[in-house]
Amino acid sequence: MIRGAPAAVNAPLPSSISLAATDCLTAFGDARQTHRALLESRRALAFHPVLGGDGGDPVPLALAAGHAYDETVPPSWLEPLAGLAARLPDDPWGTARFPVFVTSSNFGVGSLHAFRRTGDARHLRYGTPFATVEVLRERFGWGPNVAVVSHACVSAHLGLLLATRSLERGLATRALVFSFDFVSPFVAGGFHALKILNAGLPAPYSAAGTTGSIGLGDGAAFAVLAPAAGGARPALRLTAQTLHNEMHHFTANRSDGAGFAACLAPVQTTLARRRFWIKGHGTGTLEAGRLEAATLARLFPSAPLVAWKGSLGHTLGSCGLVELAIVGEALRAGMVPGTVGTEPPFFSDAVAAEPFPSRDYDGVLLTSNAFGGAHAACFLSHD
Amino acid sequence: MIERHLHAVRTDAPADESIAATRERLAGAFPRGSTRRMTQLGLLLGGVLSDLATGEEDAIVYASTYAETRALEDYLASFPTPSPTLFQTSIHPSAIQQVLIARQQPVREFFPHTGRDQLVAHALQSAALAAAPRVIVCGGEEHGTWLAEQNAASPHAFAFAFALSVDPAGAVGHLRLESTDSPTGELALPEFFNALHQRSPLSRDVAPGLRLTLTWR
Repeated sequence: MIRGAPAAVNAPLPSSISLAATDCLTAFGDARQTHRALLESRRALAFHPVLGGDGGDPVPLALAAGHAYDETVPPSWLEPLAGLAARLPDDPWGTARFPVFVTSSNFGVGSLHAFRRTGDARHLRYGTPFATVEVLRERFGWGPNVAVVSHACVSAHLGLLLATRSLERGLATRALVFSFDFVSPFVAGGFHALKILNAGLPAPYSAAGTTGSIGLGDGAAFAVLAPAAGGARPALRLTAQTLHNEMHHFTANRSDGAGFAACLAPVQTTLARRRFWIKGHGTGTLEAGRLEAATLARLFPSAPLVAWKGSLGHTLGSCGLVELAIVGEALRAGMVPGTVGTEPPFFSDAVAAEPFPSRDYDGVLLTSNAFGGAHAACFLSHD
Repeated sequence: MIERHLHAVRTDAPADESIAATRERLAGAFPRGSTRRMTQLGLLLGGVLSDLATGEEDAIVYASTYAETRALEDYLASFPTPSPTLFQTSIHPSAIQQVLIARQQPVREFFPHTGRDQLVAHALQSAALAAAPRVIVCGGEEHGTWLAEQNAASPHAFAFAFALSVDPAGAVGHLRLESTDSPTGELALPEFFNALHQRSPLSRDVAPGLRLTLTWR
């Protein structure tokens, strides 16, 4: 029974949680294919009409193989996603001791747009979050113990934290975090209306331009978390996680960057003695990129900073998990991809545009940001 | 087993009240001039949260199956010239963000849940596992129009909020989550809302391996 006062907010995790398995799906393919493409500085982004078959301005999108931008029945992303799910470890997911945490910012909302556009009611089977998750649950053979979280572009981080807490309290044997976001005219139209998805390609952390631009990309990923068994030291360990919500403005951060620093404050002591690099958010917007890069350089001046959305596009609510899978592959391969698609001058000297070996480091800080001034970060330790 | 005490339970069941009427009824709960672009769900949640002085170190757990239905409907209707305001308002956590941005109230942990049959179970579990000394649990729906006709939105509007803590002083209710061997279990948000609204007890399996017992003082 838990009766005592809860632990301090956002303290470093009292025990190491193992990252037992991870993989992703991007426009380049799985984590290994994506990592290789990033090392080669390839861009998956290509220009498509923002409204798909209805035309509109060309905008940079990175679509997964097999995904038709104009939604179909069933959604064309379902098969590629099933391919990712087929690589999950064989556990009884969705049962009492093997909970699933599904995270997304989009779910099947492209199907709602397709229903509105075509009047075909068959799209509605995929149009709400619970309906979409039910389709996945039936398709993948999961039980009903599936928690669903949606907090825009920090969604995946929330899934990781909730899964971690379930494991720490002994409520789960292993936990699966599964995230998916596929681009549709619904979401591209929205970012285009906000004028940050435009005719430019994203150049994360670059101070060279006068207009910020993002790209959008398909992304899905999973992470299997498990307690470190019997005092063993797993190869990859989640050793700190932290959140902060500025609640200052829907689409802007506090101009002094205080929200970025507030998120990282609880883990600064933990990180002080570590040699790590940073996988930043780095969408390609100017103001957020400047604040992010400046804050990270001030707090962690010796940590190289990379971001991969200049190649993959912003994979929205799934970006935290997609990029975690790529980090895992980078550590396995021993080479960290640089910040693809950017050009100097940068907002900070810490920005790494070229690949570098991971052997000189023993950890990675992964950060993501979202609407409402939401910030999330986790620290991955390795030997 | 995890036990917590409920404090300051607030509910609002406005039936088929129009958004204009909701805005007028709840204007006093918001800073002057801040309600003009708020959704009905944002207004309802602002109302039930108005006397729960949220602090930065509180955690907030939010539960909604459909969330910003009307903004979603109107955003879809705005194509082929999509509205940027409706786009940002249509995201799942928008209602709480509307309320806290109006108050300029930062919060460290905010967990917006969705789902249906196990939504209540998972939201309460998130709240019970939060590290914060006090967790604000809130949720609700606004009623849809054309999406409701397609069973893709809530037919009713409602909202609730309460605080959960380990402190029994002044509590109005008690909540217990227990591990069980049950392979099934469900409790949807409208039924949980009714229990809060009517101060009715609950004791049932709400998700695989999880039993909820809710009692009132």
